[in-house]
Amino acid sequence: MIEQYTITTTPKYNFPQPTIDTTLPQRFLEQSLHSLKQVQHQPFQLNQQNFQQFQILEQHPSNLRLKRQPITLKPNHQETTIAAVDTSTIKIGETSTGIIIAIRGATTWKQNRNYRYTRLGPFIFHITEENKNELYKTLEKSYFNTLYSSNRHAIPHLMQMPTRLASLLERWLQTMLAKTVTNGLILFDGSLTSGTMDTPIQRMKDILTLARRNKNTVLAFSKMTSLRVNGYLITDQLPKHEAPYLLETTGIQFKSPTIVLGDVRMNAVEKILGNDLYMQGYPETLRLSHILCTFTANEVLAIKHFITRKHGIQIINRPDMHKLLFGPFGKGEFS
Amino acid sequence: MKLYKKEGNILQILSFPNENSEKGDYLLIEDPDANKALIAQVIDMQFANIPGVLEELLRTLPDGGEPIQGEDIDPLEIAPHITYMQDASLLICKTRATLQNEVLSPSSSWLPSRSQSTIKKLSVPMLMKLAKVEGTRPIIVGGTKDSALLTIDATAIDGTLNIVTGKKGCGKSHLSKLLIGSLIGYKATVVIFDLNGEYTSIGMTNDGKRNMYYDKIHALTPSQNFKVALDQLHLNVVMGILIHALHLPGTSSREFRRLWKNLKEKGCLKLQEMGEAIRNLNCNQHVRDALSSRYHAFVNSGFFTDNPAEATFLDECLLKAKDQGGAIIINLRNTSTIDRQIVVEYVLGKLVDSLQSWKLKATFLFAEEAHLYLRETYWDDIVTRMRHFGIFTTFITNQPDTIRESIYRQADNIFLFNFTNEHDLDVVSRAARVDAETVRSIAKDLPPHYCLTLGKVVHDFPIVARVRSLDMKTMGETRLFFKSMN
Repeated sequence: MIEQYTITTTPKYNFPQPTIDTTLPQRFLEQSLHSLKQVQHQPFQLNQQNFQQFQILEQHPSNLRLKRQPITLKPNHQETTIAAVDTSTIKIGETSTGIIIAIRGATTWKQNRNYRYTRLGPFIFHITEENKNELYKTLEKSYFNTLYSSNRHAIPHLMQMPTRLASLLERWLQTMLAKTVTNGLILFDGSLTSGTMDTPIQRMKDILTLARRNKNTVLAFSKMTSLRVNGYLITDQLPKHEAPYLLETTGIQFKSPTIVLGDVRMNAVEKILGNDLYMQGYPETLRLSHILCTFTANEVLAIKHFITRKHGIQIINRPDMHKLLFGPFGKGEFS
Repeated sequence: MKLYKKEGNILQILSFPNENSEKGDYLLIEDPDANKALIAQVIDMQFANIPGVLEELLRTLPDGGEPIQGEDIDPLEIAPHITYMQDASLLICKTRATLQNEVLSPSSSWLPSRSQSTIKKLSVPMLMKLAKVEGTRPIIVGGTKDSALLTIDATAIDGTLNIVTGKKGCGKSHLSKLLIGSLIGYKATVVIFDLNGEYTSIGMTNDGKRNMYYDKIHALTPSQNFKVALDQLHLNVVMGILIHALHLPGTSSREFRRLWKNLKEKGCLKLQEMGEAIRNLNCNQHVRDALSSRYHAFVNSGFFTDNPAEATFLDECLLKAKDQGGAIIINLRNTSTIDRQIVVEYVLGKLVDSLQSWKLKATFLFAEEAHLYLRETYWDDIVTRMRHFGIFTTFITNQPDTIRESIYRQADNIFLFNFTNEHDLDVVSRAARVDAETVRSIAKDLPPHYCLTLGKVVHDFPIVARVRSLDMKTMGETRLFFKSMN
C-alpha cells in the first residue's frame, strides 16, 4: 500500500477516455500474427503439464518489528472509483522450435455501484529462441518508447517469456488506468516489488508518477506473504483481532535494491472498505479482474481450435512421459 | 461429428454447432476398415461436457446475479471459437442396424473405430431405400424434417393391429382420416366407430364440396338413418347385446333364447310381439323383470324398428364397400353409453358373421376411444380371434392407459403423437416393437401434427414426420364458447 498525493474526489469519473493509447495492443496483435505465421502448417504438441509460474523472490526487509496493537479501520463511504488490473498467461503447446502461449489482460472498475470491465486478448504467440528477443524488444519499445532492460540479462529465457509478456501487458494496462482514472483507487495484483527483470524500478516509478498526477492511490494486493516477524508470518501475528486492520512496523531498514516508493495511506484503505466488497481481505474489483482474465479449459480448447483452423497448425499427440513412466502417479496428488 | 462412446446399443456422438442434428435424425457411422456401417438414430441431445464451461458461465454473472457489463477486445477473434466449443453437443443415439454390402441386419454387435469412423446424416429416403420400405400401394404419411416424404405401404397395415395415440389436439384423428382415405382409395372396406361424429364428413372437401371419397362414405347414425329390424338380427348378435351390453344374467338369457326362438318360429319377431311375449312369459318374476327392463332398453334406444322401410341393411353397405372400397362410419355422437354398446355389439357381431360366411374378405376397423364402448372381453377377441376373421383394428386414443397392455404388446404399428405425461409414455413404451428410451425421449418433444411412426410400416426404423394436410372437412374441432365473440 503506497501513499499517494492528496486525494480529492470528483463527481464525474472519466474512464475510459476515448484518446486511450492503443499502441501496445496493436503491437501485441502484430507480433502475435507475425509469430503465428512462422509456425503455419507445422505439427505441435499439446501442453501436457501445468505451466509453472516463476516465483519472484521477495527482498525481505531485515529487523522487521510490529507494534502489537493493530490500527483499526472504518469504512469510508465517500464515493470513489475503484479500478483494478490483472493479466493471465497460459502455455497452449509446444512446437519443434518453441512454445505457443496465450496472454490476456482485464481491467475492472466499480462506479455507481456497478462493475464494468474491459478485457484485452487473448493474444497468441509462437515464441522461439530466434524470435523471442525481437518480440520482447519490439513490445517493450512500444511500451515507453524506451528500452528499460537494455542489458543482456534482461532477455528472458524461453520459458520465462509467457510471464514476461504478460507482465508487459499488465504494466501497460496499469499505465492506462493511471492515465485515465482520476481521484480513484487503482488496485494492482501482487506486490509492488520492482527492480526485477520484468519490472524495472523506473517502470514502476513512472506508473506511480502518472497515478499521482491524476490524484489516484495505488494499492497492491498480494494473496500470500512470506514476511515473517520472529519466525511467524505477519498474517498470523494477531489472531484474535478481526481483519482487516493495519499493522505498524518499526525498525524497518530497506537495503538496496529495495527502495521506498511511498507510505501507507490509511484513508485509501478505508475508502476501499467503504466502496468495494471484500472477501478474505481481497477486493472484489481485483478478484473480478483475475477471474475475467483467467483462461478456462474451454478457452484453451477454443484457442487450440483457432490455431488449428486459422493457421493450419497440426496437433500431434506425443505420449506424456510423466504418465508413461509413472502412470497415475505421474502428476502428483491431483492426477 | 465424432464417435465418443458406446454402451450397449446406445452411442454417444460429439457434434458441433454447424452439424445440425435433431432428435429423430438418422446417422450413418461408417468404418472404412471394417467395411460396414452402423445406422443409429438420435434419441436425445445433451450439452457436451466441455471442461471449463461452468467457470465460463459463472464469471459472466458475478454482479448480483446480473451479467457484468463490459467490453471484450478480441483482436484475433477467438470468441467464436469459444462459443463453438461451448455449444458442442452430445448426441445420444440408439443403434438400429448394421449396413454391410448394402444389406441391413438388425445386429449391432460390433464396434466401429472411434478414430477412423466417419459420421454423416442418413436421409429418410435413403434409409427407406436401404430398409426396402416400398410397395405397390403407397400411403404418403407426410414430410420428414429433411423435406423428404414418409411413404408407407398399405399392405403393411393389412392384417395388423395399429395404435394411433397422442395427447388432445395433436392430430390423431387427422392421421386416421388420412389412413382411411388411402385405404378406401385402394378399395378397402373400413368401419369406423366415430365417437364424436368427426368422420362423417370425410367425403367433403374443406370448402364443402364433394371430394373423391364422397360416394364411398356411408355415414350411419343410430336411431336416425341406422335402424335394425329384429328379424334381421341373428340370435347370437342379440344375445351378445343382452349379455355384454345389457348384462343380462344367465337364467334370464336362457329364457330369452327360448322366447326368441318361439317368436321366430311364429314369424312374428317384432318389438311389439316381443314385449307382449315377455309380459305373458310364465316364469320367475325376477326373470320377467330382467327381460322386461332389457326390452325397454331395446325400445328406448330407438335403434330397433318394426318398420322394414326404416331398417338399414348394414350388409348392403358392406357389400358396396367390398366391391369399390368404402367406409362405414358409425356415428356414435349423441348416443348414450348403453345405446353405444348395443350398436357396437351389433356391428361387431354383424362383421364377424359377414367375415365368417366370407361375405366380406377383410375389414379395417378404426375405433376411437374404444374403452368407452368396447366390452372387456372384446380386447383380446380383437387382437386374437377377430384378426383371424379379417378384422384389422386401429385404436385411436388420447388415454393410452385405457388400452390393455396386451394390445400394446401385440401392436404391429404405432403412430405416436406428442405426450408430455411420463405415465402415458410409460404405457406406450410397453409396445414390443419399440424401445422405451426412443418413445420417452422423442415423443415428449414432438411438435403438434408431428408423428413418430413405429413398427412394421417403417420396418422398425422409428421415423418422425409431419402429417400432411388433407382436403377433407374436419369435424374434430372443439366447439368454443368465446370463438364467436372475437
